[in-house]
Amino acid sequence: MSAQPRAAEAGPAEGADAPSVAAIADFLRRMRNGIEDGLDPTTAARRATDELPRALRDAVDRISRRLRGEYHEDEWGFDEEFAEAVYPFFEFLYEVWWRVEAEEVRNVPSHGRALLVANHAGALLPFDASMILGAIMKEHPLPRWARFMVLDWAFVLPFVSVFVRRVGGVSANPHNAIRLLEQDELVMAFPEGAKGTGKPFSERYRLQRFGRGGFVEIAVRTGAPIVPVAVVGSEEIYPKLGDATQIARAIGAPFVPITPRFPWLGALGLIPLPSKWRIEFCEPIDLSGYGPDAVGDRRLLFEISEQVRETIQRKLYENLIKRGSAFL
Amino acid sequence: MGGRRVVIVGVASHWGAELARRLERDPTVDYLAGIDSAPPPVELERTDFIEADIRSALLSRLLPGTKAETVVHCGILWYPEPGKPSPLLHDINVIGTLQLLAACERTETLERVIVRGSAAIYGCEGPSPGFFTEEMARRLPLRTRFQRDVSELEGYFDNFSRRHPHLTCCMLRYQPEIGPGLEMPLVRYLSLPLVPVQLGFDPRLQLVHADDATGALEAATRNPVRGPVNVAPSGAISLSHILRLARRPSVPLPHPLFGPTLERLGRRLGAGPLYGDGVRLLRFGRGVDNRRLETEIHYQSRFDAVAAVRDFAARSMGRRVLTSFHPGDVLDMVAGARR
Repeated sequence: MSAQPRAAEAGPAEGADAPSVAAIADFLRRMRNGIEDGLDPTTAARRATDELPRALRDAVDRISRRLRGEYHEDEWGFDEEFAEAVYPFFEFLYEVWWRVEAEEVRNVPSHGRALLVANHAGALLPFDASMILGAIMKEHPLPRWARFMVLDWAFVLPFVSVFVRRVGGVSANPHNAIRLLEQDELVMAFPEGAKGTGKPFSERYRLQRFGRGGFVEIAVRTGAPIVPVAVVGSEEIYPKLGDATQIARAIGAPFVPITPRFPWLGALGLIPLPSKWRIEFCEPIDLSGYGPDAVGDRRLLFEISEQVRETIQRKLYENLIKRGSAFL
Repeated sequence: MGGRRVVIVGVASHWGAELARRLERDPTVDYLAGIDSAPPPVELERTDFIEADIRSALLSRLLPGTKAETVVHCGILWYPEPGKPSPLLHDINVIGTLQLLAACERTETLERVIVRGSAAIYGCEGPSPGFFTEEMARRLPLRTRFQRDVSELEGYFDNFSRRHPHLTCCMLRYQPEIGPGLEMPLVRYLSLPLVPVQLGFDPRLQLVHADDATGALEAATRNPVRGPVNVAPSGAISLSHILRLARRPSVPLPHPLFGPTLERLGRRLGAGPLYGDGVRLLRFGRGVDNRRLETEIHYQSRFDAVAAVRDFAARSMGRRVLTSFHPGDVLDMVAGARR
């Protein structure tokens, strides 16, 4: 036991902390593939079971490696293996629950830094970042993980803070965004912030103020192109009818939404409604021509911020029409 | 350049003694003196030991006599020590630094002052920047006594450096250190047979390897820059990853119980109190940017955040309380894997 490998072992690194879940997910996936290949269910099940011992051994191997700490976490606490292990859940939401249609994913640069700017919605749990990420991972010719800026409050909460960090979230402040972009990462920002997620259902798809335009300053400073992203469908998952202001104040949350099912149904109210989603990635806006002096030019920053906001608003209306019915 | 005359204040502390040992081997150092209220824990060959309490005005009479050109202050305490209980820490840290600065003012030969401070000045919150840079001090609320003490003494030091522009005043902001032989609460905490952690939290930490901690101090003594400099390894590592690498099973506790439990455990198992910002650090973690250390002081850390922990784990293997029974081993036997 003394000669332990120092470096992380080679080999395919899938799944992580929950290998049994990963094995079941694998099994079901093989099962589905079998049925799609035209096999009857029993033959498909037998074929999927044949693979099981190997999958199980891989899973045990993986969990043992995890327990020894032989895995990689980057300096932000992003754990790629963990993200891959929880990916099937989001894949399910993406494909089955919300039937997401993504357009123009190629507008996301396949390498180098870029700032994705999107509208923000989903009062209880904003799923939009995970679905944008899903679109890039599933539809982009060169998939890559993106980091996303998360409301500060999430980082005070137990469990949530750890989960968010492991899948690539960082607290929303300019220092983090600049450092990530300087490391040539793909960064997602939601300039509306809590104003976007906290707006009542009657104001859905109406963009709120884009903060102070800080995201433009970040893009200009780092020379990163801005890719506006319009997300349709996120507003219907938790229609926000009211606000429990006093509870929010007591727990320090920006707002506590009241939806038709939350908090009346308890945990069941956390299940999002199966709306239909569309995500459109717009043409990147190149800001590298402005140079570092432009950072001090407030008027220019506001202009660009307004331009991005208008683009997203226009695309939102277009995609609302293309989507048609919200749920069917 | 002629030989240097260096005075180490707080030479009885671990880092003061380590620095003295390294400087004794440095031929460019002509004269080396150490000031503290107790003799250094190790045998030093050519260091003049001057016995004086840092809190006393005696310092102002002794320091000019050494004709020091460089003063290194290693006397700031992170946690109580035997003979230095926690009510005394404020006196030692803040008043002691003030006395030292007053003594420095009278030392005409002086050119540079280096203080070994702490990154606790950045505070410790959930939604903090991933990597604090030097100008981000005091942006977050300072919640513990130690954090406020560090902030206060840095304030005095800033003032001092502004009033004496001809002096090079350098403040080193250290992240906590790690090393197998170190007698420090955080290290002892990580060596507990069962390590309590805060349920639902997994802080990102940067632990400075003991070699790098002394190395950076020595580099800063040789080549100080003006203003604060963070001392930390590159990268960061989460507590859960540390415990897995060190093969320590963890026990999650609800976070309100964490502090009291640790205090109890500490008294029982000799883990010592986690003073200062330890408890908050183990909930939210803290990362600092170390580019200034690398590009301006020109110190390249030998270990990054993960390597420091791996080295600690490998070298403290022999001194384990529990045998190396580990869930990973059982799983390996089940899987028939050989390692």
